[in-house]
Amino acid sequence: MKAKEKSSLLWACAILMATLGAASIFAAPSRAASVEEIALMKGADRQKILVEGARKEGKLLWYSTLIVDQVVRPVKEAFEKEYPFIQVEFYRGNSEAVVRRTLAEYQAKRYDADLIDGTVSPVMVKRAGLLQRFYSPSLADYPAELKDAQGFWGATNLYFLTVGYNTRNVKANELPKSYDDLLHPRWKGQMMWSTSRGSGAPMFIGNILNTMGPEAGKAYLQKLKGQNIAKTTASNRQVLDLVIAGEYPIALHIFNHHAYISKTAGAPADWNPIEPVTATIQTIALAKNAPHPHATMLFLDFVFSERGQRVFQQASYLPAHPKVPAKQADLKPGAGRFKKAFYMNPDTQFDKGNEWVDYFQNQFLK
Amino acid sequence: MNGAAYFRPEHWVLAGVCVITAYLVLPPLYSVIQTSLFTTKLTGELDEFTLRFYGDLFRELQVIEPFLNTLYFAVGSALLATLIGGAVSWIATRTDAPLRGLGYFTAFASFGTPFILYTIGWLLLLGKAGPVNDWLGRLLNQRGAVNIYSMGGMVFVEALLWSPFVFLMLAASFRSMDPALEEASAACGARIGQTLRRISFRLMLPAFFSVVMLIFIRAFESFEIPALVGLPGDIRVLTTAILLDAQRMPPVYGRAGAFSVLLMLVVAAALYCYFRVTREESRFHTITGKGYRPALIPLGRWRYPAAAGLLLYAFVLLALPFLIILWASLLPFYMQPSIEALAKLTLKNYVVALHFPKITDAIKNSILLGLGSATAVMVLTTLASWILVRTKLRGRWLLDLLTTLPLLFPGIVMGLAIMRFYLIVPIPIYGTLWILLAAFITRYVPYGIRYTHAGLLQLHRELEEAAYASGASWLNAMRRITFPLLTPSFLGGWVFVFLLSAKELSMSILLVSPRTQVVSVAVYELWENGQVGELAAFGVVWTTILVAVAVGYYLFARRYGVQQH
Repeated sequence: MKAKEKSSLLWACAILMATLGAASIFAAPSRAASVEEIALMKGADRQKILVEGARKEGKLLWYSTLIVDQVVRPVKEAFEKEYPFIQVEFYRGNSEAVVRRTLAEYQAKRYDADLIDGTVSPVMVKRAGLLQRFYSPSLADYPAELKDAQGFWGATNLYFLTVGYNTRNVKANELPKSYDDLLHPRWKGQMMWSTSRGSGAPMFIGNILNTMGPEAGKAYLQKLKGQNIAKTTASNRQVLDLVIAGEYPIALHIFNHHAYISKTAGAPADWNPIEPVTATIQTIALAKNAPHPHATMLFLDFVFSERGQRVFQQASYLPAHPKVPAKQADLKPGAGRFKKAFYMNPDTQFDKGNEWVDYFQNQFLK
Repeated sequence: MNGAAYFRPEHWVLAGVCVITAYLVLPPLYSVIQTSLFTTKLTGELDEFTLRFYGDLFRELQVIEPFLNTLYFAVGSALLATLIGGAVSWIATRTDAPLRGLGYFTAFASFGTPFILYTIGWLLLLGKAGPVNDWLGRLLNQRGAVNIYSMGGMVFVEALLWSPFVFLMLAASFRSMDPALEEASAACGARIGQTLRRISFRLMLPAFFSVVMLIFIRAFESFEIPALVGLPGDIRVLTTAILLDAQRMPPVYGRAGAFSVLLMLVVAAALYCYFRVTREESRFHTITGKGYRPALIPLGRWRYPAAAGLLLYAFVLLALPFLIILWASLLPFYMQPSIEALAKLTLKNYVVALHFPKITDAIKNSILLGLGSATAVMVLTTLASWILVRTKLRGRWLLDLLTTLPLLFPGIVMGLAIMRFYLIVPIPIYGTLWILLAAFITRYVPYGIRYTHAGLLQLHRELEEAAYASGASWLNAMRRITFPLLTPSFLGGWVFVFLLSAKELSMSILLVSPRTQVVSVAVYELWENGQVGELAAFGVVWTTILVAVAVGYYLFARRYGVQQH
């Protein structure tokens, strides 16, 4: 009895293995092209091959740091309208969560993610060696600072960090218009900034050190330190809301479109650029072992194209494409309110960011 | 003991409790210790062994100011929260003052409010431009009479945040008080104050220890209030440096790990002492074979002042912050309360909040997780407490330690540990709600164990022994005697864990997947990018839902529990 059971078990195993082996032989031709080949493909029949492959894949998974309600969903809908046979799924987290999740999954050899976006998260994943270089035709229209030289990422939209202020508490003639104006004694204890690496004090410090040079920059920051700027871990949006509530007259480094949104709603808020304005870049990148490379390449082509960029525009985001203006045009440089911006290269931000965080910690925290 | 004893059902149940607890707690514990001892590569793999993080920590500890600030903050919050929560729960459970139900409602509703919103509510209220300073300024003719960005402000907000925990915990203990001892005291001519001091408080030592220890630890390691309230006023605490480490790229969690390992040692020592003190468990028995339902203490002419105290508590803890949040939710942008602002009131923010896409799925998931984790935590910790209190196993205090340690795991490190664990072990729950449930149970076991441990210490062994003597099996005795008598502690803990899990963000943000969204993560972007009005509108809606579930459960379960007798 026992022996019989054993032998039938062996048979079952043998049959199972034979089936699996056969299946893998038959399945092999459909996975002929690697992610790399698909990502770097050029030529006349590129679109056709991508569409054919994407039909089989049927979906893609996007690890995003963008706001779902404002932009992830509109982009998803616009793309799915263009390619009804592809479904866009997304996981949304902050940059720390997106990076940690991707790294942990790859460490466990679980390849779920197709796309990773963020201001710094793609670079972090790139440094870990988990991104795939790609070619997307529309990126040819983008200036060098808005795409990776090696082809690991492209920009989808831009953020500009400016002074935000309460129009009731800051008189027009007293409004700080230059970095030196910020040192005026009347602003001592009257300004607030966020500790956030990606958009707060460390980025301001980075801009100053880069623009003025290390020595003059540090000399300036030492004077700024005397202004007793209030620090908080609240987000930039909340800092601006505290300014609107009258807690502090000036928010030192907030997103200009937030001030614009509040101003439009009737709040006593406005923004004022001090040039060069700190600019950060929202980038998007392809995961090294993306399980749906055809669909993902179509998606990347779409978001970089003028048509895709108009979805960002309609969502009141500031499109990266040089030919697509912002809905409120003057939020972008060269449209009336400011010209010079310092585009924070994501690699630079990655490499130098820790220095700026340390400088902030050592100099500005008591 | 004969051989058959090994097959008794309780042994299996109890062994199961130990195994489950170890299964839940040990992997993240291992991970926290590992984090504190190794640097990591860019890919997230471990790199080199190092003691650097401990070195950093000790250097930080030598700078006297942050250390003292942390100590003031932790001691101040623990004492103030215990004082407020204790006084209110005594009035609400043991006296004949009117409006007693208000205490429960206040505790639920204030604790249900999302944390960041509650804090911002206080900043708007007590801030430089806030209404309190405005009125005080007119009254005293002095600007900035109240400075919330100070140590006092930090302690005040933290203590208020934790007072519902104290309230629920002590209310459970007060409800289980033995009236005979108090009556004896009163018969000897002691006044209410003397009886409270000499009898009631001493009997409740385990419960007091639990709340003070828990709040002290939470405040000691917390960075939220120190960062939002203290940092603008340049008050630096030990966690400030840890917070900034997380801003580095790649983020460094080593110092956070070292800090929590150090705290674990302190807590282990504290728990060991607690264990020694409560070993003489008979000293704390208040529920014995004799009737135990405590009599309400007639306050006489103090009835109305006591009710006024309850009202004040409800006003400060709930009404003030909630009204300012409600106010913010009705405005297109934040304005200080004024006649001018009244003209701008609008429901627009509610339209935004209620149209949040797929929010119904997230609400469903969050409530499911809340129900699941609260029930699982309370069942697990009730059994664990039974082992701690009733058995004479050597080293059982280690089980107490094991169930308390998750309190000290940094949220992000614990989330990562759980994520990695289920990516590696062949239990296919990654990307499902179950991984969140496992994470929540682990995270909230420390709260459950404090509730049930204090509750069980009050329960005299003789009740269960009477059941055994009457031929009841262990399961029957648990079901018919122990669980029903533990109802107040069980309910208090259940509600608390339910409300806590509805707010959890630091682990959830790592563990959710495209198809298992939860509320805290779904609205995280509102937290980061939403205008304060939109955030407030969502907060009002969410708080209402949570409180409705908590109050509904509480009423239902209390009625059910009472009928069991």
